[in-house]
Amino acid sequence: MKTKAFVIYTLALAALALLPAAPAGAQTKVTLKMGDNLPDRSNTWGAIVEQINGEFKAAHPGADIVTESYPDQPYQQKIKIYATAKQLPDLFKFWSFTSLLKPLIDGGFVAPLDRADFESLGYRPGALDTNTYNGKLYGIPVSMDFWVIYYNKKLFKDAGIDHVPATLEELYALIPRFKAKGIIPMTTDGKDAWPLSITFDQLVWRISGERGLPRQALDRKIKFTDQVFVQAARALQQLVKSDLFQEDLMVSDYGASRNLFGQGKAAMYLMGSWELGLGTDQAFSAEFRANVDAFKFPAVKDGKGAVDDLMAWYGGNYVVSASSKNLALGKQYLMFYAKRFPELAWEKQATLPAQTVKARPGDTPVAQTILRIISEARATSGTPALDLSTPRFKDDNENAIRELCSGLITPEAFVKKLDAAAEKAAKK
Amino acid sequence: MAWLVLPGLAVLVFSLAVPLGFSVYYSLTDWDGLGAYQRVGLDNYRSILTDDPVFWRSLRNVVALIAVTIFVQNPCAFVLAAFLSRLSSRASRLLRTIYFVPAVLSLVIVAKLWVDVYNPTFGILNKLLRAVGLDALAISWLSNPSTSLAAVIWIIVWQGFGWALLFYYAALMTVPRDLEEAARVDGASWLATYRHVIIPHLYPVISTVIVIDVISSMKQMELIYLTTAGGPGQLTQFLGVYLYQKAFVSGEYGYGNALSVLFVLLSAGLTFLVQRGMRVLSR
Repeated sequence: MKTKAFVIYTLALAALALLPAAPAGAQTKVTLKMGDNLPDRSNTWGAIVEQINGEFKAAHPGADIVTESYPDQPYQQKIKIYATAKQLPDLFKFWSFTSLLKPLIDGGFVAPLDRADFESLGYRPGALDTNTYNGKLYGIPVSMDFWVIYYNKKLFKDAGIDHVPATLEELYALIPRFKAKGIIPMTTDGKDAWPLSITFDQLVWRISGERGLPRQALDRKIKFTDQVFVQAARALQQLVKSDLFQEDLMVSDYGASRNLFGQGKAAMYLMGSWELGLGTDQAFSAEFRANVDAFKFPAVKDGKGAVDDLMAWYGGNYVVSASSKNLALGKQYLMFYAKRFPELAWEKQATLPAQTVKARPGDTPVAQTILRIISEARATSGTPALDLSTPRFKDDNENAIRELCSGLITPEAFVKKLDAAAEKAAKK
Repeated sequence: MAWLVLPGLAVLVFSLAVPLGFSVYYSLTDWDGLGAYQRVGLDNYRSILTDDPVFWRSLRNVVALIAVTIFVQNPCAFVLAAFLSRLSSRASRLLRTIYFVPAVLSLVIVAKLWVDVYNPTFGILNKLLRAVGLDALAISWLSNPSTSLAAVIWIIVWQGFGWALLFYYAALMTVPRDLEEAARVDGASWLATYRHVIIPHLYPVISTVIVIDVISSMKQMELIYLTTAGGPGQLTQFLGVYLYQKAFVSGEYGYGNALSVLFVLLSAGLTFLVQRGMRVLSR
């Protein structure tokens, strides 16, 4: 009897536990899982995404958005692991590059989009093309990226310097003057190596005056062992050896190098135009924000290239996972994002969007300079070499750059490594 | 009653044997972790062993770390434990707690802490060196090719020291006092007492600590990943980081798996050798 009572009691409890679950189940929201490389959600770009998410949820009451964010490099690795484990988020920020997006497309992980839907949204020429593979659009570009040097006007003044360097020789001449004041002349992210690799491409162009030589070397029309690459490698190694950068360049990552600049310890910061948000980043002092500006990567003595030959590309994008259960909603989000982001990004001066924007009276000085640099460009490079080939080539390229800049190999050995990596990638 | 071992066996099979089986399978392919793949036989193993200087560099670094833990960390921990075992229990408890603090800190905190200590711009180490006039020694410890490996090994030893100390201290407390007294009555000096009585008594513990050291040196990954990620160049590369980078950064999942299979074989082989060696030594 007791057993029977116990069973009934247990069953009744279980039924009770299930009761409230039923109506809640009927109201369950559709949750869009998102991933991006913007861990700071209260400032610049991350804050804009939060605002867009809020507006999207208001417009789609049945939708919820859950975001996972990590810094750049861990994020890239996380996405690869998610893809391998078939657990990609519904939509995620990624990069349009052959080295990153193409393997996902080839594996069938990314859903194609209807290009016609996005063509009228004011994208700069070529922006959608970089996200197009096999004739299909797979991602929406979000930013126009190009290589510049940011600088802190106050630190220049403190060191008694009244001009930005137009040539590498002028740049070298500034080093002792900053050092005498205890200021680090320049910072960049050396640990991840890609900024140094982009700088290498830029040097190749400044020296040769020819656009796209690294791409030709990847296509095996010329060789990385050609003289121009040796000269560029020599120039890059000299930049690092000259005490221009922070002492621990090769182990300081994106955040560490950016903070050195933002906290007023370094006078210059070698990075892409996506960092124009430094001018509004509340994480740094008002004094810094008022003093940050940018200039073009200097010319090389006797080089055939000009300062208006710009390393520029469309890197960051958003893509929808092909296996998403909420594919239609994910695509609606992309459309919403594509319409809202350029306006908000420019209004908050967070980054230069992939769509055309107009100068406004309230633009920060650094934003004005970024707009001027892109308008004065006489040619743009397209995707940097390290991202034009296979993931393996990217890794080999970065490792060779690390060895070159750590002084472990000579420029001649460096170009040989690069050429061997390109040969391997071409065979694949 | 044999079925009682089934749950444990099932856990072992599904958490160890099956993943290892998958690893062996993928190690024979050129899979990039995402799309289609082809079987390439033993190609991955061949290129690791004959054409991959980074693999050998990682292995050398592992050996260096093992050597430092066994021949530097362990003797120091033993001497300190012996010293602590002679102190009053209150003093020894306080000191043991202090020495053990690094061991309980999260790896991420330890890594960030030391990256900041070593920082050439605002790091405390260089500030101290400059304060005492050793400006020439105030270098970038982690990115300088001649000091980077020693700098990361120091962090690992610093964090692991507490464990070794704890093991040795606990073991020393189990040595019967009368054994020691008998030796002393027989006229043995303190050095002879340690050499001929106490240390032989502790062989099982020493052997365990060394096996743990060997295994933890082999699988060293997080700390390297968080401090130098194997750089500058590949000078501080370790097997754990390298196979992760191959699989998930450079998109060579098959190659990464081949590295991990070799890694398992090496770990098992080395552990076997160390245990064998210790058994011979304790005879």
